[in-house]
Amino acid sequence: MYGWMGKVIRINLNDNKVSTEKLDENLAKEYIGGRGFGSKTLFDEVPVDVDPLGPENKLIFAVGPLTRTKVPTSGRFSVSTKSPLTNTIFDSNAGGFWGPVFKSAGYDMLIIEGRAEKPVQITINENIISINDGSKLWGKGIKETDQLLKESLGKGYQNMMIGPAGENLVKISIISVNAHRAFGRGGVGAVMGSKNVKSISVKGSKQPEIFDQEKFDFMIYETDKWIKANPLTSKAFPAFGTSVLVNLINEAGALPTRNFQQTYFEDADKISGETIANKILVKNDACYNCPLRCSRKTKTNKMEGFGPEYETIGLMGSNLGISDIEAIAEMHYISNDLGIDTISLGGTISCLMEMSEKGLIDYKIDFGDIDKTKELIYQISKREGIGDELAEGSKRFSEKYGAVQYSMQVKGLELPSYDPRGMKGRGLGYATSNRGACHLRGYMIGPEILGVPKMLDRFNPVGKSGFLINQQDFFVVVDSLAVCKFVTFAVGEEFFARLFSTVTGVEKSQQDFLDIGEKVWTMEKLYNLKAGFSKNEDQLPKRFLEEPGTGPAAGQVFEQDIMLSEYYRSRGWDENGIPTNDKLKELGLEGIDYHA
Amino acid sequence: MHEQFKQVGRDLFLQNAVSSHGGNISVRVGDRIHITRRGSMIHNLTENDIIETGLNEDDSGIALASTELKVHRGIYKSTTATAIVHAHPVNAIALSLDQDVIVPLDSEASYVLHKIPVLSAEHTIGSEEVMNIVSDALKNYKIVMLRGHGSFAIGNMLEEAYQWTSELEVAAQIINIVRSAGINVQEYRKDSDKYEQW
Repeated sequence: MYGWMGKVIRINLNDNKVSTEKLDENLAKEYIGGRGFGSKTLFDEVPVDVDPLGPENKLIFAVGPLTRTKVPTSGRFSVSTKSPLTNTIFDSNAGGFWGPVFKSAGYDMLIIEGRAEKPVQITINENIISINDGSKLWGKGIKETDQLLKESLGKGYQNMMIGPAGENLVKISIISVNAHRAFGRGGVGAVMGSKNVKSISVKGSKQPEIFDQEKFDFMIYETDKWIKANPLTSKAFPAFGTSVLVNLINEAGALPTRNFQQTYFEDADKISGETIANKILVKNDACYNCPLRCSRKTKTNKMEGFGPEYETIGLMGSNLGISDIEAIAEMHYISNDLGIDTISLGGTISCLMEMSEKGLIDYKIDFGDIDKTKELIYQISKREGIGDELAEGSKRFSEKYGAVQYSMQVKGLELPSYDPRGMKGRGLGYATSNRGACHLRGYMIGPEILGVPKMLDRFNPVGKSGFLINQQDFFVVVDSLAVCKFVTFAVGEEFFARLFSTVTGVEKSQQDFLDIGEKVWTMEKLYNLKAGFSKNEDQLPKRFLEEPGTGPAAGQVFEQDIMLSEYYRSRGWDENGIPTNDKLKELGLEGIDYHA
Repeated sequence: MHEQFKQVGRDLFLQNAVSSHGGNISVRVGDRIHITRRGSMIHNLTENDIIETGLNEDDSGIALASTELKVHRGIYKSTTATAIVHAHPVNAIALSLDQDVIVPLDSEASYVLHKIPVLSAEHTIGSEEVMNIVSDALKNYKIVMLRGHGSFAIGNMLEEAYQWTSELEVAAQIINIVRSAGINVQEYRKDSDKYEQW
């Protein structure tokens, strides 16, 4: 096979059985890689009623045909599982170097099943795959774990691991890649923790074969040209990283502030990308083969590390009423080391803060309280005190107190740092995402804020469904190839279709890609329908529908009914958000029982 | 929506990409199409010139919709486009008469379009033949030319489809100037010989 390595590893931890399988060529052609492989495998192998933290759930890591090639940003890979936070089908995507090196070890996919009796540490060095005692690493923070693995395994290994939060089955825990990139959302760290897997390390020296090297080189040249010409990919991200968005989003009236009670933060300047560059930036850093170099190495008076990214700044900064960039950075370092998703963490703590403000809970914490927030991060990671309740995420936590209206989530996943009252298309994306409120299931920040590919009126609720759907479907393909979504600011689906064809020798048009994206998206939807999700879960919290935004979004609410109805029609679904038989037939998904 | 239609229609005319009553534009929202009225004055579209009809099913709107409705429907069914601009760009039509593919010489169109396939049909207006060949080609290109007739461009919004149309016409104009003036082109682009493979 060209592009793919043609092999899959399957590890069953119930009996420590390790096997390798040939990659199904039809799976490769129809589902590409990464998220496509993960969603299809999960759909086929994990029944909807399994306990996400039980041994029947699986962790599926997959790279794509462009991974470990010269395609810029091709260091991404994905993990798919049933989420303990949302109970939906779930995939998460990460950068770093683990994915490309896994491919160099000779594989396209790693499926982990069952549960180990004791903590284990897995190593993959091409044909040598071993399950080792991980007890000595258990309980360690992510930085220390990474360091210990580097010392014990020697040169050339790339490490992926969980922190104490994952070990303690915190439902908002991450899997860390190279200690500073992450599979961030959905509590995937808890799934790895439930299997007693502390870390997975890989080493290899192989390279994927390219079908048409000459044409591939031409395509790379053309892609590089666009990346260098585009001001976002060549200037803004290298200069400020993702935090370039802070001021832009605030000026649009979409920066979540004090648990989304306001949409404009008066101190945004103090936590902006410009402030990071002036106060705490040490240097830029990059994932495998990435010219954007959006990662930031930073340092405060007391600590050093990577980040914070835009999402952390919004959720742990303005959304908690905190405007001290050093404090935000330190909370980011701590969360990364303990292995917690800062988006869900910020959304959960802000929920607690508002409940405290309204006297709905005995625990006292005010917006802006840095010390107590830091204390809570440790408590959550250990499930100590109120941290045990917060470790369940904001939805379950607030439901316990009859206050779910203060949990800003969709399907249990906390909202990222874009308020839907300031960006209506973004809100529609949250409502309809198969994994809950996610900013990467269609990136409406492009047309609603950045003018990519063209500027849309961000307050207009009408006529955006088609655009969003194309983005949602296209991003399935981006996650499957697997490359970084930021590169799509510069090049679109036509580039990726041609790159794919030159790498694999399998001819696909840009429309074929969108068709594959639609099929996978719909399959994920069917999984959720069978798991009991319905139109009732395609809903934003009432705050966004009833309480107007502030600042530049003053007076704006999210017009959910109009937008959802248009979206369902544009998808070819019925008024309840269920794909019609004609649509399922068109996608080759007819005959699947999706009834709960 | 009317504002977008009006603006794009006017600009197509000003660029010599349509005659006074030529070309047609549409957007898709779900299973509905909004398309210019047959015989409407494209540079001065009124709200009454935008006709709504079904993507799949006929209704009374088809009595008023553009002659090219069939082609628009075919494109929407074959692609995930949500906007279409069909124009009659003068320079591109001239080029299409003796070319199977238009490869721009200028930098911008080279970046954006690389190449524009030229398709040929016996019945060039509103035919099933055109619907099939144009729909198929637009699965892999954002704009194509129908020999002797005009361009079909797709996008996520009208502005995008208009941009490809405008880029094509400027590129074609440059090629025609170069040809008519007999200019000896000094190639400045690496791998430009590969653009035809795009």
